[in-house]
Amino acid sequence: MKQTLMFEPIKEENNKYSSKIEAPIYEPKNKQPHILELFDATKTKRLVNEIKNSGLPEDEKQFLIRAAQRHTIFNYEKCADYYAHASKEMQHLMERSALVIIDFEKAIEYGYIKLCDDIKTQYLEEYGE
Amino acid sequence: MENKNFAVFILTHGRPDNIKTLVTLKKCGYTGPIYFICDNEDKSIDKYKANFGDAVQIFDKLAMANSVDEGNNFDERRTITHARNACFDIAKQLGITYFIQLDDDYTAFDYRLYLNDTAIVKPIKCLDTYIVKLIQYYKTHNFLSIAFAQGGDFIGGLFNGKELYRFSKRKCMNSFLCSVDRQFQFIGAMNEDVNTYITRGNRGDLFLTIPFVSLTQTATQSQKSGITDMYQRFGTYCKAFTTVMMHPSGVKVSMMNSSNPRIHHSIKWVNTTPMIINERFKK
Repeated sequence: MKQTLMFEPIKEENNKYSSKIEAPIYEPKNKQPHILELFDATKTKRLVNEIKNSGLPEDEKQFLIRAAQRHTIFNYEKCADYYAHASKEMQHLMERSALVIIDFEKAIEYGYIKLCDDIKTQYLEEYGE
Repeated sequence: MENKNFAVFILTHGRPDNIKTLVTLKKCGYTGPIYFICDNEDKSIDKYKANFGDAVQIFDKLAMANSVDEGNNFDERRTITHARNACFDIAKQLGITYFIQLDDDYTAFDYRLYLNDTAIVKPIKCLDTYIVKLIQYYKTHNFLSIAFAQGGDFIGGLFNGKELYRFSKRKCMNSFLCSVDRQFQFIGAMNEDVNTYITRGNRGDLFLTIPFVSLTQTATQSQKSGITDMYQRFGTYCKAFTTVMMHPSGVKVSMMNSSNPRIHHSIKWVNTTPMIINERFKK
């Protein structure tokens, strides 16, 4: 009986660096999330209500309201998903506010993978494997 | 080492006769310049000078402390923050563009690779070559700083069958490759590395840990002298909470259940650093 191979045999040269190295790059999803999914302001709203209902002078209230914004939780994956489908003007302003970082010409991604390959080569040279 | 524009800075205090990093650097084939970054409040400064001569670089600790947000009012300067910040000016005075900040208690620099379905953890033999590659990568990208991985990053294994190097690469701890042309300030007397990559990273500055080579350090909070005193005095709650204060929407205080259980910061990365995405998504 002929034996059936369930998987292609792995070639030696491919197997040497068999595991895929992924650079810290995010791949935005195909669907644009609703803008309200990009952040969670629950705690901020609670704090702002407390501040507004307090007996503090107006300038102190304004200061605390600004400070309360620090508690707004941004979901940066959702921000990137939103960016990918946003208008040019929105994209520009999201970039200006560092809500996403653009890897121009894949410099970070390619550089990272090349560095990994260089270090593997160095290791193989040092250890003669 | 051929690169004349680079030096290793070992940040040290009170351990002139026990600089493990120096031994480890030589063992791993580093042949470039080394400077010892010491503060003017160190009682053992004369011993440093006797041991290392002109390689000892002394900074004014109080002046540095007065120029930074320490994140508390403890009036306590036993922290590495000020040495980290002093390094940029010291490098400028020495005419060096690139430098890497190292602690004084490293015992190994190891490859952390996955080859032929096997996790490789072996000592690096020519650190010079690795550092040259690291500088080249750093030069051509826009990172504020990049770091070696740490032994603890690999707890749970290098590869889980799906993913390699599972820890976040957006952090930057313990060792810092820096440039005088990309100066930044470390903040907070405690947890200064985390505070810095969290707050700056949240605003779009890039930090990176390169996972392919790691350093091993003497167990945290077990060495005498240095910042350990401060952590033992104030507890790690204050340390971790400094970072919560600086980024409350992405950092919590939690329990780290390691061999040395202690309160630690817990970062929710999806709420902390903006994603890096390919240019093709830009209209």
